Amino acid sequence: MSTVLFLNIAWQIATLAIVTLGLAIVFGKLRIMNMAHGEFVMIGAYSPIMTSSLGLPMWMQIPVCILTVAFVALVVERVVVRHLYGRIFDSLLATWGISILLREGVELIFGRGFQSASAPISGTMTVLGTDYPAYRVLIFVLIVLGFIALAWWNARSKVATQIKAMVGNPALAQAIGINTSRLSAGAFVFGCTTAGLAGLMLAPTVQIEPMMGLDYLIRSFFALVIGGLGTLSGLGIGTTLIAGTQSAISAASSQTAGYLVVLVISILFLWLKPNGIRPSSR
Amino acid sequence: MKKLTSLLASAAILTAVSTTGALADVKVGVLVPDSGPAGLFGPSARNSAMLAAEQINAAGGINGENIELMFVDVGVPPAQASQAALRLWKSDGVEAFVGMHDSAVREALIQRFNGEIPYVYTAIYEGNSCATGLYVSGETPSQQLAPVIPYLMETEAVSKWYLIGNDYNWPRDTNALAKEYIAAADGEVVGEEYLPFAVAEFDSSLQRIKESGADAVLVTLVGGDSVGFNVSFAGFGLDEQALRLGTLIEENTLAGVGADNANRLFSSSGYFASIETEAATTFAAQYADAYGGDAAPLNALGQSTYEGLLMLAALGNKAGSLDVAAMDAAAEGTTWESPRGNNTMAGRHVAQTIYLADGTGGAFNVTSTFADVASSEACN
Repeated sequence: MSTVLFLNIAWQIATLAIVTLGLAIVFGKLRIMNMAHGEFVMIGAYSPIMTSSLGLPMWMQIPVCILTVAFVALVVERVVVRHLYGRIFDSLLATWGISILLREGVELIFGRGFQSASAPISGTMTVLGTDYPAYRVLIFVLIVLGFIALAWWNARSKVATQIKAMVGNPALAQAIGINTSRLSAGAFVFGCTTAGLAGLMLAPTVQIEPMMGLDYLIRSFFALVIGGLGTLSGLGIGTTLIAGTQSAISAASSQTAGYLVVLVISILFLWLKPNGIRPSSR
Repeated sequence: MKKLTSLLASAAILTAVSTTGALADVKVGVLVPDSGPAGLFGPSARNSAMLAAEQINAAGGINGENIELMFVDVGVPPAQASQAALRLWKSDGVEAFVGMHDSAVREALIQRFNGEIPYVYTAIYEGNSCATGLYVSGETPSQQLAPVIPYLMETEAVSKWYLIGNDYNWPRDTNALAKEYIAAADGEVVGEEYLPFAVAEFDSSLQRIKESGADAVLVTLVGGDSVGFNVSFAGFGLDEQALRLGTLIEENTLAGVGADNANRLFSSSGYFASIETEAATTFAAQYADAYGGDAAPLNALGQSTYEGLLMLAALGNKAGSLDVAAMDAAAEGTTWESPRGNNTMAGRHVAQTIYLADGTGGAFNVTSTFADVASSEACN
């Protein structure tokens, strides 16, 4: 395996993992099939455009992204999603509607056309003896650090324990004084915000337009189908299988073959192992 | 009962009035995508068509009659699009069509029209369409490539081409011709690849391009795929290894690629918003006056409806009617001027001016102009 292929696969897995994280949290913890997940990635990818049209400096992209996405997610949660916890099919339909609304909203503000975002660092750098885009290296490192922090937090934090309690037994969790409504809202907003941040990070490397979210939703969904819901390790396995397989086969054969294999794997899992490799606790 | 009768009577009168009203004008159906993947081009295509109608009418219309445009959204599946067009023709009395849409819709329309009504097709397309009553105003691959490939090979000193496109007939037909022109100019094709639509990443293709040693890449990816490819291409620093030439990289695509990623990205087209001839700048000024500074930006696909209507008017006026047989008899050799330059009808396609623009810096800068480029497509 050439070094570039290795780096490409690592990049694809890392970016798919960060894109999928929010969907995994919202689906795994709250039993909401968030069809608008890709739209939060899209809104995040538009944050560089928002930032520059507001005349703000480049570093403000991060707060602009977090505030915008968190605000939209909070509104969506309070108005629609909170009524649908535990009702997977209803949540699927409702969030599908929301996804259309968000796409149209962005189209109304920014137009249908493509947008572009500049990377804070450009050019290539030498990694493991080969030239690789410097921005990708930076983002890769950030994603890995982010997941390490998340795993650490997940193991230690009281909030993480409360979420586990809420997922395990909502009635009992409420009875012992956990504010499940606030906790659910927080988890939903957090999940959507990670999607937004993923969009912001990917923005300088992809096409930006109102319809872009759909592709991310589909790939995230495949990763979840394979990995199973509810655990970080499941997320890791799912994204590795999907992104790794597609990259490796695309490089060895063709893009069409790579995509075909991903579809076949996803169908086989849905058919034979619908709970994925690491099914959640529930 | 009485109420119903009077209602019916007034409806009948209304119909009669609107019919007589319509007789004064020639109705032209304009088929543009308002939805679907090409919906991005809807607003500029509508604006351009309306501007054309206004100017055609100011100049005396077609055979002395004013034209009235009727728009239909064809950004829908072909069967649905052709149904909508059929309604315009049979119920609303449209006498000619001008369409800017994909080839699948065109083939469906050809089936419906059956050569009984003039149909001007304005989009860039792969060629090989010669149905009766069809007149093509858009560019075909031979026009965009025959003069441009040898020119770039000489001026930019490139010879090793990598061909990459989406997997359908337009890229495949374009590349089949490109190979001839590359071989004729003593160049070599070092790779050829077709990607499915909406592919997730271009990494493996970019690696293949890098390893192939290509110094020029012909890009026939469309829309978002073209944007994503070009962004990643420059991200990997491949813009230093190879120039890129696209035959469907218009202003919107370039905006998505962004200034950072457009180094040595060339585009070959019959129209750019930045053409600096007098006819083109006048047109751009009229467009800005009519629709304001915030209007959908001009681009080759959107502007093509203007060209199509101008061509319809030129053909209709020369033939003395919008009857297909009369138009067919008169069409060959018809000439007219437009923002794109001087146009001559040849084989129901248009010998026209082709512009080569460099997108370096994020805006098209027209670097060469090739006048009277004939299409290799020729219909009898």
